[in-house]
Amino acid sequence: MKFLKLLLLPYMAAVIGAAFLWPEPAKGFIGESSRIVFFHVPCAWASTLAFIVAAAYSAAFLWKGKPWYDDIAASAVRIGLMFGVLTLVTGSLFAKVMWGSWWNWDPRESSYLLLVFLYSAYLFLRAAVEDPERRPRIAAAYALFAAVLMPFLTFVAPRVTASLHPQTVINPQGKILMDTPTRAVFFGAMAGFSGLFFWLLSIDARAARLRRTGAGVPAD
Amino acid sequence: MSSLGYLAAVNVVIWIGLFAYLWRLDRRVSEKERSS
Repeated sequence: MKFLKLLLLPYMAAVIGAAFLWPEPAKGFIGESSRIVFFHVPCAWASTLAFIVAAAYSAAFLWKGKPWYDDIAASAVRIGLMFGVLTLVTGSLFAKVMWGSWWNWDPRESSYLLLVFLYSAYLFLRAAVEDPERRPRIAAAYALFAAVLMPFLTFVAPRVTASLHPQTVINPQGKILMDTPTRAVFFGAMAGFSGLFFWLLSIDARAARLRRTGAGVPAD
Repeated sequence: MSSLGYLAAVNVVIWIGLFAYLWRLDRRVSEKERSS
């Protein structure tokens, strides 16, 4: 495990370097703006992965009742939201360059914003329930409800109406519209961000368990 | 150095800093787990 964490250092450094220096900028995009795909889409993927993990551990908590599963589910939502906000920020940067405005109420932007609100409500809900016995059960039920809506907001709603958003990976043609270097760096970044997500999840969930058991957490 | 090379270098340095921070945090959580 320690080896995998250490491996992430050169791996991500290589992915970042390659993202800027290896593929040519994609045709049909202004300047170098297409390079944001190497950060924006992996952030969106990491948040989707986080919400799937949160749903799985919420279901496991409701079934087995182990508090550790609730720690993992809550951490996954926190980290998923962080990646979700990064997705919105990087998308907004791209929108400013390509479409001339930071925010355009594009179907994809709007549905993703709703997704972020949906999972933000999970954290508000956890904070609002004071009873430590009821909090994990209510949160787990909400996480499962959110997981039902998540695929609709991520994959269906943005495609119901016309959108400005590029569809280079999932599209009606059923093909990944990228040249080989772009594809290599893109999937390399997806793997790297997945690894980073699982590492962040491990740290945050273990710190949450320490807080719950009263052992305290490191200062930073 | 080209502007893209400069951006790549800056981002790699940011990543190394983030990695070092996470490594230290991970180690401190592990120490706390062992002592509790």
